[in-house]
Amino acid sequence: MSDTSPDRAPGASAGPPAQVPDGRELLPTATRARTRAAVRELVRPHRRLAAGGFAVMVAATAVGLLVQPLLGRIVDLVADRHPPGSITLPVVLLVLVALVQGAATTAGLSLVARLGETVLAQLRERFVERALGLPLEQVEKAGAGDLTARVTRDVSVVGEAVRSALPELARSLLAIALTLVAMAALDWRFFLAALIAVPVQASTARWYVRNAVPLYAEQRIATGAQQQQLLDTVSGAGTVRAFRLEEEHTTRVERRSSAAAGLTLRGVRLVLDFYNRLHVAEYAGLAAVLVTGFLLVRGGSVSIGTATAAALYFHSLFTPVNSALVLLDDAQSATAALARLVGVADQPSPDRPPSPSGQDERSGAGDPRAGDPHRPPAPHATTAAVNATPAATVTVTGLRHAYEPGRPVLHDVDLTLRAGERVALVGVSGAGKTTLARLIAGVHRPTAGSVRVTTGGAVPGDGLTVALVTQETHVFAGPLADDLRLARPGATDGDLRTALAAVDALAWATALPDGLDTVVGDGGHRLTSAQVQQLALARLVLADPPVAVLDEATAEAGSTGARLLEQAADRAVEGRTALIVAHRLTQAATADRIVVMDGGRIVESGTHDELCAAAGSYASLWEAWSGTRTAHPTPTHHRGTHHRNSSTHHHSPDTTTVKDH
Amino acid sequence: MSPTRPSGRDVLRESVGGQRRDIALGSLLGSGHQMGEALVPVLIGVVIDRAVTGSDTGALFRWLGVLAVLYVALALSFRFGAWAGDRSAVRSEHTLRVALVRRVLHPGGGAEEGRLPGALANIATEDAKRVGGVNTALMYGISALVGILTCAVVLLRMSVPLGLVVLLGTPVLLWLGHLLSKPLETRSGAEQERAAHASAVAADLVAGLRVLKGIGGEPAAVARYRTTSRDSLRATLRAARAQAFQSGMVLSLTGCLIAVVALVGGRLAAGGGITLGQLVSAVGLALFLLGPLETLAWANAEFAQGRASAGRVAEVLASAHGVTAGGRGLPPRVRGAVRLAGVGHGGLRGVDLDIAPGELLGVVATDPAHATDLLRCLARRADPDTGTVELDGVPLRDLDPAELRTAVLVAEHDADLFEGTVRDNVTAAAPASGDPGPAMAAAGVTQVVRTLPRGEDTAVSERGRSLSGGQRQRVALARALAADRPVLVVHDPTTAVDAVTEAGIAAGLREVREGRTTVLVTTSPALLSVTDRVVLLDGGRVVDTASHAELISRHETYRAAVLA
Repeated sequence: MSDTSPDRAPGASAGPPAQVPDGRELLPTATRARTRAAVRELVRPHRRLAAGGFAVMVAATAVGLLVQPLLGRIVDLVADRHPPGSITLPVVLLVLVALVQGAATTAGLSLVARLGETVLAQLRERFVERALGLPLEQVEKAGAGDLTARVTRDVSVVGEAVRSALPELARSLLAIALTLVAMAALDWRFFLAALIAVPVQASTARWYVRNAVPLYAEQRIATGAQQQQLLDTVSGAGTVRAFRLEEEHTTRVERRSSAAAGLTLRGVRLVLDFYNRLHVAEYAGLAAVLVTGFLLVRGGSVSIGTATAAALYFHSLFTPVNSALVLLDDAQSATAALARLVGVADQPSPDRPPSPSGQDERSGAGDPRAGDPHRPPAPHATTAAVNATPAATVTVTGLRHAYEPGRPVLHDVDLTLRAGERVALVGVSGAGKTTLARLIAGVHRPTAGSVRVTTGGAVPGDGLTVALVTQETHVFAGPLADDLRLARPGATDGDLRTALAAVDALAWATALPDGLDTVVGDGGHRLTSAQVQQLALARLVLADPPVAVLDEATAEAGSTGARLLEQAADRAVEGRTALIVAHRLTQAATADRIVVMDGGRIVESGTHDELCAAAGSYASLWEAWSGTRTAHPTPTHHRGTHHRNSSTHHHSPDTTTVKDH
Repeated sequence: MSPTRPSGRDVLRESVGGQRRDIALGSLLGSGHQMGEALVPVLIGVVIDRAVTGSDTGALFRWLGVLAVLYVALALSFRFGAWAGDRSAVRSEHTLRVALVRRVLHPGGGAEEGRLPGALANIATEDAKRVGGVNTALMYGISALVGILTCAVVLLRMSVPLGLVVLLGTPVLLWLGHLLSKPLETRSGAEQERAAHASAVAADLVAGLRVLKGIGGEPAAVARYRTTSRDSLRATLRAARAQAFQSGMVLSLTGCLIAVVALVGGRLAAGGGITLGQLVSAVGLALFLLGPLETLAWANAEFAQGRASAGRVAEVLASAHGVTAGGRGLPPRVRGAVRLAGVGHGGLRGVDLDIAPGELLGVVATDPAHATDLLRCLARRADPDTGTVELDGVPLRDLDPAELRTAVLVAEHDADLFEGTVRDNVTAAAPASGDPGPAMAAAGVTQVVRTLPRGEDTAVSERGRSLSGGQRQRVALARALAADRPVLVVHDPTTAVDAVTEAGIAAGLREVREGRTTVLVTTSPALLSVTDRVVLLDGGRVVDTASHAELISRHETYRAAVLA
């Protein structure tokens, strides 16, 4: 172990950018053909808008091309020694052209933007709908970053393209096409001369895209790595200082920043080389057009004015050609981003779940998700009462699970949670508690066996059957009330207050600067980790499912906070069938029943006292946990304070009388 | 940064000054490029005049040769000028970023107070980039001025009235365009912000996907997103219409300018004041002039942004240190005697506490905030308002915080892990000769490692989020133990660890820290039961001190805090 110590010099431990863990399965990406088809499908309902926008843009560009012949006309009038007054007409026409072109461009760009933005909005809405409907298992297999990257980077890349690149590209391409047509109209030989530049431009564009796409991809990775390192270092500044890692972290940032800067400069060089080649094309084309003009004027087939117009036409092509070629790269990355969006947006919609895999023996009715996966906003007819849903029975039969084939983590688990029963799941880390919890909550499909949820009465509306609250938390950005209403869209302010009160959160919530309207989450008011968990429990109360699964939902708080959270959790699951994965045994000790897991199997089951008396693995766990406690009041006294139907929940830790036993 | 408390102006001056050679070179070559571009339409006019009008083949090839030379010159000037300018920007940006990180990580702290990590990271990326961008703007701005001057000279030499029309007409046109688009821009800025909101909402919902699915909130979330997306669509369309109007307006104005130039130039040419070629050149120059004028406007906006960004950078660089270095040093061998005398800070009220060298002390605070206050003082992230904290008789405020931390390590409850392998994290602060094995075994990392795909070499990503809470805590604890400091203060190290493992950790911790001062700030009975002595903090004061067992039996508050 000490053989690597010499390498541990500061700075030596920063590895390459985080590698994707093995066995990742990225979310689907659409093929080129499918992407095109999807865009066609999205545009089809707006095809009149599309046709109108295109027509107006063509008209605007075409009108603009009258400028050069009008200027040529002036040159001719002067060359033919017409009186100065004769140029007034073409000048007036020039002004007219300018006004018409401006107006038509305004109209055309508006129409194109309306088309692009409407289609984009539809695409992103469908994307978000399908993304939120993806089975969690699939999202996790792909890695958390995949979906996040799509919803942030890809949506913004496509948005940016629709907003700026698309209109610009359309305008440039139209200008190029119509200018070439106009040159051909002056004389077809001008058109041929202009084409001399095309091979150089085409090869330059191909060369650029070939180099730019991988380079920019590399740049994005490097910039992302730099950003990640900065966030790591800055948000962990306290830890960095405490461990005296300042030098190492500065070096890490320095290295990442240098890498990003190096790639930026490589990109700069690429663009500059690109322009250099385009300058060659510009010169070749311009010289060819001038020579053609010279020859045609000498041969008498065109006037000096026409030759001038042709030269001016070609000179005016520089700008649209350059911008169109630069935009090729944007278009390329937008297409790739679009393919990733369409890949997710093409996933079956949540109300048509994918057909179960062959190994899945969960009966449709037994699968809380497959049986009722649709779950539109639950009407919750009875909004007045917080806990109106009758509890349900959960029957787990012969449940087996393996995340990777050949490495089973659950072996033939049978378990019944009776209606309204509060069951604590304990065991050492890696015993399979979380896996069992997740299978019951329907996050994963079991390799074998079934989970059956039988509700005693009718669940109001299409309400949620099993809710899962884990130690992983998130506060949704926006007003606190909106966050809570995600769990029950129709909840009144009174409902929200009742739910918050149930988890002891009403006091701090109303004390927030704007009460329940306080903006929380990213960029808003910062909540403590205990408050965030209380919020998660309040959402559970509002979602009001017959079955609740809590997986170490109280673990993130410090030990003092944990106790308060446990009390809140107890109240949140009251009246529900609850499975609580507990790492603090006091929480387990107060449950109706304790189930002990070890090595993926259930090894013990019973009340706290039964298990303690049985002197099995729970008893030794309890021994280890309580340590000196055996000589002192045992927590069994809590059972006395925990009547399921009691309306007050004073969890007085000082109670010394043992009531029930 | 040379001044200790730099202002935004200082930041900008240093950033530009540090790259002055590149900026000068870039400006020089950029000016050459602009002059070249200005001469292209002039040469087109000359070719028309000298070659096409008179059908002079010799002149044609002569002037096409000149045009070729001009193209080579302008292309190369651009190539190397822009390179120098961009390089200066990238270098300035990098230098600023590193300076910012150094300031944030300074042992005296203080830079991250009141700033979110995301905001700080943003200053180190976006703002540093904008300050660097000033270099490029400066270079392009100077080049554009030279381009405009070239244009002016050529035009005025051709014809004073025509030159004045172009030189006065183009700025007026740009100014009009600016005037017309100003109100639209303000509106569209606000609307684009609302549009950006939609993507933020989507990202937020995806970030909370598990939570959302846990409570079946997807349909509500989809409905909410649709509303936001539609709002954003309406806002975007308004902004797009405004932008389309602006584009059309600029086109119309440009067209009118060309018409005016054609009118004046045409009449002059008809009267013999200028040649046909000069008329063509004038029209070309009028169109060209829009380029450098727009560049100037752009550079001006960049300067404004750069100044604002430099201000934000300077604020971070100039932020006051949380604690300052005193004049005294640590004794060569730290015994690890920690003494608190009358310490008042936050919620602490006159805390007196003597920790003997080598003692394993438990601290139970009934209010978690008081535990945090105590940790802040021990870590010297802040100095107590009253009283003193001493290490081996030296008041902490007389020590350099960096030196203090080589002797005292305060491992926070929410300690962050960093990118690297599990082993890298554990050994991050370990002495080079040390063996991390015992620390890893004591903290229960040995078991963690067994379940990980690549054992010790498993990569830790996203600040440790790739590990479970319990795994993360154990790796963080192993790191604290492996650092092997004379004094170690640990805060709630096992809240996400199961009971059996916790008991193992308690025993291991005691063994590994044998003979060195260790303070456990926790309410976990498993940990407290292995301590030599426990101090109970209630209401910010020390209310009792005894062994864990003794306190359990005699102090009701203690029982409540520990055994609930």
